[in-house]
Amino acid sequence: MKNKKLSGNLLKCLVAVVVALLVPVLLGGSSYMCLVACFVTIYTISASGLDVLYGYSGQISMGHAAFYAIGGYGAGLLSEYLGIPLFISMFIAAAIAALIGALLAFPASKLKFHFLSLATIAFGEIIYQIVTNSPGRITGNYNGFFHSKLDIFGLKLDNNIKFYYFGLVCVVLFLIAKTMIVRSRTGRAFIAIRENTQAAEGMGVNVRKYKIIAFAVSAFFVAFAGSMYLGLVGYLHPDMYLQKQSVLFVTMMLFGGSASLAGPIIGAISIEILLEGLRTFEEYQMLIYGILLLIVIVAMPGGIVGAVKNIKAGILRRRAQKLDKEV
Amino acid sequence: MRMLIQLIITGLALGGVYSLISMGYSLIYKASGLMTFAQGDILTVGAFLGLTFYRFLKLPYIVALLLTMAVAFIIGFLLEKGVIRKLLNKNVNAIYIVLATIAVSYIFQNGAQAIWSSKVEYFPSVFSTDSVAVLGVNVQPESLLCIGASMICMILLHFFMTKTRIGTSMRAAAMDSMAAESCGINVSLNTGITWGIAAGIAAIGGIFIGPMYGVYVTLGSKLGTKGFAGAVMGGYGNMYGAMVGGLLLGLLETLVAGYISSELRNLFAYIILIIFLFVKPTGIFNEQAIQDV
Repeated sequence: MKNKKLSGNLLKCLVAVVVALLVPVLLGGSSYMCLVACFVTIYTISASGLDVLYGYSGQISMGHAAFYAIGGYGAGLLSEYLGIPLFISMFIAAAIAALIGALLAFPASKLKFHFLSLATIAFGEIIYQIVTNSPGRITGNYNGFFHSKLDIFGLKLDNNIKFYYFGLVCVVLFLIAKTMIVRSRTGRAFIAIRENTQAAEGMGVNVRKYKIIAFAVSAFFVAFAGSMYLGLVGYLHPDMYLQKQSVLFVTMMLFGGSASLAGPIIGAISIEILLEGLRTFEEYQMLIYGILLLIVIVAMPGGIVGAVKNIKAGILRRRAQKLDKEV
Repeated sequence: MRMLIQLIITGLALGGVYSLISMGYSLIYKASGLMTFAQGDILTVGAFLGLTFYRFLKLPYIVALLLTMAVAFIIGFLLEKGVIRKLLNKNVNAIYIVLATIAVSYIFQNGAQAIWSSKVEYFPSVFSTDSVAVLGVNVQPESLLCIGASMICMILLHFFMTKTRIGTSMRAAAMDSMAAESCGINVSLNTGITWGIAAGIAAIGGIFIGPMYGVYVTLGSKLGTKGFAGAVMGGYGNMYGAMVGGLLLGLLETLVAGYISSELRNLFAYIILIIFLFVKPTGIFNEQAIQDV
């Protein structure tokens, strides 16, 4: 039984990968559509990273745009001022972000839900203020930060289709890493903390240590995604790192469904397509987005994955009732 | 010395507005154990409503003030009844409520932009003189109004909460909703009224700050986020703490901007917020509610 389920899941993953490989063909090679697909890969990684933090370990962050900024600006500054190739500095920047995340989580781990979200909001705003008023204007402040696009040891990712495949490889690698983390001893500790912090502590789980690990892992994911953005677009503007961006990550994670592999992917795809589609409404974009968001929250908390589960459960229940009547 | 007096007066005026926002946070947290992120954008809506009533419809200032408060009260009440209560009944995770208030704040902010404009609108002055002399310093009379009126709001709110029947039942509902319910208090109605009052006081904050800063779409969202610093500084959930914390925040922020650097202004509020959360989360008034979220 277990083997069957496992191979079923593996099959689903393979189908997903094959479909993902065909995306540029399906989109007819249109450069704009491929750009959207590239953003989807970036957001998938960010939302998955946040999922490790919220979905598995039950901690909320409303300031993950800060790590997104640290990744983007960090990678850019490292390659600009120290001459490290962008591809390598992306990893260094993500590691720095993980360290910062751990440092933030050390005092923040004792805060409960609402106050943790306040602390992360404050952290996000502090990073935003630093980016807009940087010492020596190294981040270009409000003018934004320019950098050449990504090339990996001479392989130039100069069009969106090439970048999409790079993004896809990153997504697969990060999702494998996420699955391995949440299925390991560490992941089980995360879930124990999420379900009941006191009980977990009673069972001998070092709550603070695992909360810090969760923060560091999610910071690594989000910061790497941020540096991918720099590699794709070649330009950063501080207004991308407002609190709105952090809320967007949370929305993507929740819309798909948290604590699952597919949830953040579905969320990233649907929200990104929705936002691009609403672009035609120009100044009403955010208004319509807000209304839709509110309707979705009120109508189906639990996200798409949760709604599908509910429908499945409903069908099973009806089948069971039928069987009951027949017997 | 002149500069110091000037800064203290502007600081207190700003602090008064922060206090109004923070008090809303504290009231809501006490009454329903929730955090709202829409408070700042209700302030924006309030400022625009006040602008409409006072500048476009040419109503007397006090009438515009009361009307705005009434409309904002209804908005807050409906927000609780239509969104928050629905979600609470579904027994969802707290994050959905947080996200719902954020969605509401997007709607308010962008709705205000759609209805009014994205420009900075000027709020006509309330008094005929441009400046009055206080201790030999010329200040805008509106900033004095802001200080005075927010003080009056706080005092009125204090009496409302302690001396009236509704206020007492609101406090009872906040303290122990089940016990209050069994004493015949309509807890759901009381929570709605609390959200309404929180929205009302935020909206008048918008009217007070309008003549000093102008009215624009993102006016409230920054103030709203920084208002958290005031609420946490005083002790989250404590009404008096929010008053003191808000005033202190406005004062300190203005002094930092005046004497050190205006670029540090925004950074300062968030640094205060994070330091208080990490070092003394119970705030100046040692409010314990923060422990049992």
